[in-house]
Amino acid sequence: MDISKLKQRSDRAYAIALEKQNALEKAKSRMILAHHGHLFKADAVTINLVRALADDAETFVILDVNDNPVLVEDPKALLEALKSKNQEVLNSYHQLYKTITETR
Amino acid sequence: MAKQGVMVYCINTDQYRYDRIAAKTVPLLVENLGMPITVVTNEDTRPYLPVMESVDHVVIENQTGNSINGKPWHNLDRHRAYDLSPYDKTLLVDIDFFCYSDNLLTLFDTDHDFLVHDQVHDVTGKDSYNFRRASAIPMVWATLIFFKKSMYARAIFDMVGYIKANYQFYCDLYRIDFTNFRNDYAFAIALQQINGFGSYPVIPTKLCTLPARAKVTSVNDKGLTWHVDGGQGKLEDTDVHVIDKGVAYV
Repeated sequence: MDISKLKQRSDRAYAIALEKQNALEKAKSRMILAHHGHLFKADAVTINLVRALADDAETFVILDVNDNPVLVEDPKALLEALKSKNQEVLNSYHQLYKTITETR
Repeated sequence: MAKQGVMVYCINTDQYRYDRIAAKTVPLLVENLGMPITVVTNEDTRPYLPVMESVDHVVIENQTGNSINGKPWHNLDRHRAYDLSPYDKTLLVDIDFFCYSDNLLTLFDTDHDFLVHDQVHDVTGKDSYNFRRASAIPMVWATLIFFKKSMYARAIFDMVGYIKANYQFYCDLYRIDFTNFRNDYAFAIALQQINGFGSYPVIPTKLCTLPARAKVTSVNDKGLTWHVDGGQGKLEDTDVHVIDKGVAYV
């Protein structure tokens, strides 16, 4: 492969990496959820924490994104909201990711 | 129910037609946030502003005297937003912020009285906005401010007014490299001082920004494209702060 083709390939790889990075930031922005006046990230950490604590208690306290304590009185509702938001965002990201990588 | 809406400042200079940017960004705010918009402007700019059903204009006599890159920069009235806003909950947005999603509506569902971004994402991948060594205080981004009419928010805006009036002192105190007045630093200082030099709540995402080096080549109601350093890029359905003033003529 001559150097101009190698350079083209490198440029393309950079463009794809950048598009992926921007798509990921977009997903992270959309993953923020407001619940009872507090902001949460609907990510794997929050979902797993709420699920784990809900196994042993009907109410419990967690931290929001700004480290403020929140009494969760309806874990089921919060968990459903987190899961729903998480999958909505990740499905969109998945579609976008496929579009980006298929142009490789 | 609390009255809520979006506020933007749009004041033309001899060099830049911000009204032409408003003609692109205000309809996006209306479309994607579905809220009333208040445009703060001056007598000279008002006749050029887009006329839309849900858009009101507030005319002020703006303060002048600040500059950026040797050109006039009308950014000295941002601390007046608290008094100028007709809303209980306000999203104050720069006129060059292109709103392509409804993500920001989430902020209206919080109990917070005041929120700004403290992180930025350069969408060209060049990390152009790493200003951490440009001052002794971490900067916030005053591009987008959510506030509620409250004692806390009032204190922050009043503090910014005080900092503005004594800006050289604060510039020296915090060893800020930029000598012109910047709301980003004024709000960062105000937040630090009002919060007793402790932490404060922020918008937990990064502010997507297209730096001035990137020249916008097209804008539509879904997104925009640009050229930078011989390459090109695009964004869709993603809110983005566009620094290139040439976007007015795309």
